[in-house]
Amino acid sequence: MWRKLDSGAILPRVDQERRGQWLRGVLDLCVLGALHRHESYGYELAQSLQAAGLGPIKGGTLYPVLLRLQRTGLVSAQWRDGAGGPARKYYQLTPSGAAALRQAATDWRAFSGGVDTILQEVTAP
Amino acid sequence: MNHQAWLAALTSELHRHGVDRELAGHIVAEAAAHLYDSGEPPTAVFGDPAEYATDVVRSVGGPAQLPRRAGPGPVRLDVRDVSKRYRRRTVLDKVRLTVRAGEIAAVVGANGSGKSTLLRICAGLASPDSGQVVVNGTFGYCPQAGGTADFLYPEEHFTLVGAGRGFTRERSRAAGRAQAAVLDWDAATKLQARQLSGGTRQKLNLVLAGLGDPDLLLLDEPYQGFDRGTYLDFWHEVWRWRDAGKAVVVVTHLLNQLDRVDLVLDLTNQPEGADAPDRTSGRDEAGRLDRADGTGREAGR
Repeated sequence: MWRKLDSGAILPRVDQERRGQWLRGVLDLCVLGALHRHESYGYELAQSLQAAGLGPIKGGTLYPVLLRLQRTGLVSAQWRDGAGGPARKYYQLTPSGAAALRQAATDWRAFSGGVDTILQEVTAP
Repeated sequence: MNHQAWLAALTSELHRHGVDRELAGHIVAEAAAHLYDSGEPPTAVFGDPAEYATDVVRSVGGPAQLPRRAGPGPVRLDVRDVSKRYRRRTVLDKVRLTVRAGEIAAVVGANGSGKSTLLRICAGLASPDSGQVVVNGTFGYCPQAGGTADFLYPEEHFTLVGAGRGFTRERSRAAGRAQAAVLDWDAATKLQARQLSGGTRQKLNLVLAGLGDPDLLLLDEPYQGFDRGTYLDFWHEVWRWRDAGKAVVVVTHLLNQLDRVDLVLDLTNQPEGADAPDRTSGRDEAGRLDRADGTGREAGR
């Protein structure tokens, strides 16, 4: 929608920066959320997060997040043979990951609710 | 940069950061699988391999900085006002250097500034005109060139040098092979020393210096002819020696490693005359001190 409204080149670039900042704050939660549905590997996660509307997510951003989640024990990983391709590293939510996700989802709803309340006044017709 | 080159660069960068081989293998394999699936160029997906490696290391909490061990131990090498002249030219002028267990000293300086001469004097292969060198413990010496016997196989070198340490043939060869593997070299080769490449002969030299676990290592530009990967392996080995409580003296003209050594002795522009100042400097003077006790130690005295 904003693309139609904006004819200049500056706004999209600023929006890209802002989108990157938002993503940094919530990408780990989104990854946990995506793994809550079913186990997955990096490329598939990037695809499904993009399909959900987060925009393209580069491997250089995604894998460090996955490694950090693995190191902190929120996800576990297993290598499996890929169908006709190289082996893939599948990530699963661990019990502590599921608990962290529940807590974070509650916190996020409260936080984003606050942001929504403020911004609604601006966007309301 | 094609996939293979990018993945190879990532591998060596991870290694450089001290990521162990298994974990690095996982990270590279995962990146390779992603590139296979997405079909995009590696730099578009992951960016520069060095930067990606840095991000990965931060995520896995790897040893970006080597942990500092407790304070340095007893003095292993004490160079006291050593001077050396060749004909009328003063090569070393009242040089002082004190290296303790668990310290790395880098000896730097222009060509002809006496770096190799100093190490030869420390190793007892040359005599100073004045001054004294005290070594406490056993030491290994890796010369800049030579040090290998043309017609011997690497394993025969291990046996020979190991015998000097009182090792059996089997123990010498096992130790040599293990040390060679650290430098990514299979020493069970059927090539005589004269048939080895310059870089491989230097690996042999370095292995011989470390054979028998000496307390002090004197290394005279041992990495000549090393490729980049081996050069990094070499420095990791030096840091491991330090963390194992060895004292290490490295002659180098490559300054980019100096922030990870403890002492720097610069032999450039040695002042002529009797009142030569102490030219060693500790990390503290360079503002990079990270000793556990937080106090600067006057280096080299």
